[in-house]
Amino acid sequence: MIDDISLEIASGELVVFLGPSGSGKSTLLRMIAGLETIDGGTLTIGGKRSEHLAPGQRDVAMVFQNYALYPHMSVRENMAFGLKNIRMATSEINRRVQEAARVLEMDALLERRPAQLSGGQRQRVAIGRAIVKEPAAFLFDEPLSNLDATLRVRTRVELAELHQRMKSTMVYVTHDQTEAMTLADRIVILNNCRIEQIGTPMDVYLYPSSRFVAGFVGSPGMNFLKAELSAADGKQIATLGNGSDVALSIDLPPGAYELGIRPEAVQVSATPAATTGKAAVVEKLGDRTLVHLHLDDGTSLTALDGGRSEVKPGDIVHLDFDISQLHLFDSDGVAHHAK
Amino acid sequence: MTPTTVRRINWVGGVFTVLTVIIAVLWAFPIYWGIVSSLKPEDEVVRPYIELWPETLTFRHYWFALTQTQIGSWYINSVATSVGVTVLTVSTSLFAGYAISQLRFPGRTILWWLILASFMVPTQVLIINHFVLMANMSLLNSWAGIILPQLIHPVIIIVYKQFFDQVPKDFREAAAMDNASEWNVLFKIYIPMNWGVTTALSIVTFIWAWNAFLWPFLAVTRTEMMTITVGITQVYDAFGVYYAQQLAAAVLAGIPVALAYLLFQRKVTQAITLSAGIKG
Repeated sequence: MIDDISLEIASGELVVFLGPSGSGKSTLLRMIAGLETIDGGTLTIGGKRSEHLAPGQRDVAMVFQNYALYPHMSVRENMAFGLKNIRMATSEINRRVQEAARVLEMDALLERRPAQLSGGQRQRVAIGRAIVKEPAAFLFDEPLSNLDATLRVRTRVELAELHQRMKSTMVYVTHDQTEAMTLADRIVILNNCRIEQIGTPMDVYLYPSSRFVAGFVGSPGMNFLKAELSAADGKQIATLGNGSDVALSIDLPPGAYELGIRPEAVQVSATPAATTGKAAVVEKLGDRTLVHLHLDDGTSLTALDGGRSEVKPGDIVHLDFDISQLHLFDSDGVAHHAK
Repeated sequence: MTPTTVRRINWVGGVFTVLTVIIAVLWAFPIYWGIVSSLKPEDEVVRPYIELWPETLTFRHYWFALTQTQIGSWYINSVATSVGVTVLTVSTSLFAGYAISQLRFPGRTILWWLILASFMVPTQVLIINHFVLMANMSLLNSWAGIILPQLIHPVIIIVYKQFFDQVPKDFREAAAMDNASEWNVLFKIYIPMNWGVTTALSIVTFIWAWNAFLWPFLAVTRTEMMTITVGITQVYDAFGVYYAQQLAAAVLAGIPVALAYLLFQRKVTQAITLSAGIKG
């Protein structure tokens, strides 16, 4: 059950609900669509109170995860079905269907049945069915999750183009952070049916509000190290589990914290640096290399090195931290960012 | 797969084939016997030994059934009542199945249990009540009187409910987003998506109704209002029962069902499997 949510989405904005399975992101979308009941509070769509309206009367269109194309209807009939139900004039229905087919480049598919279409084409029809309604907002429920990897990337770009062209309001649910980061104007991160953070993709990435957000956003994920914060000579020092000290500037009382740092802020250094670790696995990705290390105390850490990295498994490597990208998480999981 | 396995499978397959053929012959023999007997003169039919082929081939009994009986009226009555039973049973069951599967209303579960429980009551138990009710409503010797008590087919409701249950809820939700009324959801989405089962159930209900004997036999006393299954019992004359004539009338009675089966073989098999799976 989703409780105590307050969210405003501006006209023309593409907002992504991001979260793991069971975080409530789809439920929240369905509440907007009218497919789940809202027991309390208000929902306003285009300035109109909508929480008591039936789904079809909320001026929103939804693209379902499994497309939900009516299998016995042609593409044209699928797209026209909603318009016929509101008794729109046939000429206007035809105009809208043709226009949507043109925008989505599927003029040749209009007389086909869904079973005669590929996954990507079905996805387009599902989007077309939403477009013809010319709604105040589009709702997408994990629309790319049934596509293969290549098609997913292509459709993602097409969706971004479509949004830029149509300037329409879109709410998009996904558990895929790449989709969220690439598509969103703002990301709403949900966890356990509550909002963890709302922000632009870079805000969420650079300044996560909590341990959950920091761990959920970013691939490879943020490194988390146990640290004891103390003050010395007016500076603050975070002592890691292997005894290494990391100086940082942060206004926090001394105590036990978790130190978070993204792999790209951990640099492999040729000279002695903040700490050392032993390379366990080296993943060559061409343009970059992921070095998975263990510190002396057994803590795992991932560093991002250049594409021509010479680190080999078993090497002892020096590691430096970009202290401007350090985060400390207190016992409640609240994030504090280094200055 | 080793050669030994191949040999064993072929051997087992052969035994099954032979068994199947024997059972098919045993099952089909009475039909063959009925048709052949209807083509024999009456004195050949009652001979005390088996003759697999008529000594004298005659179509006299068919001519008799077609010209000397009211078989034309019986056909019309059978077609009218069977179509009536089929249309009304399938349409009411479709609504009931949809309501129980898709709508939420007070008493839904109780209604469902009542439908399931109605399996426990054999139609024959209700037949006296039906007779009294139809008599009180002055519907004996009428098509309505034959049709109405035959509309109770819980199995059709159950099959529909099961099929509607299997329609992914995304379609219902997509229809809700598309502003579809409940009526449109049923007629534009659920029924077209389940045309196969509607066709199959219609065919099997038609066959049940066509073959019905007990109720039409009780509900009709006037010869011209009889259905064909009841009518063929009337093929006799003052000198008694003539088996060949009765068999000729029976063959004529069975022709529409046989044709329906031949034309819609796959659908009939599907429907029988569906309903048998529930009837157990």
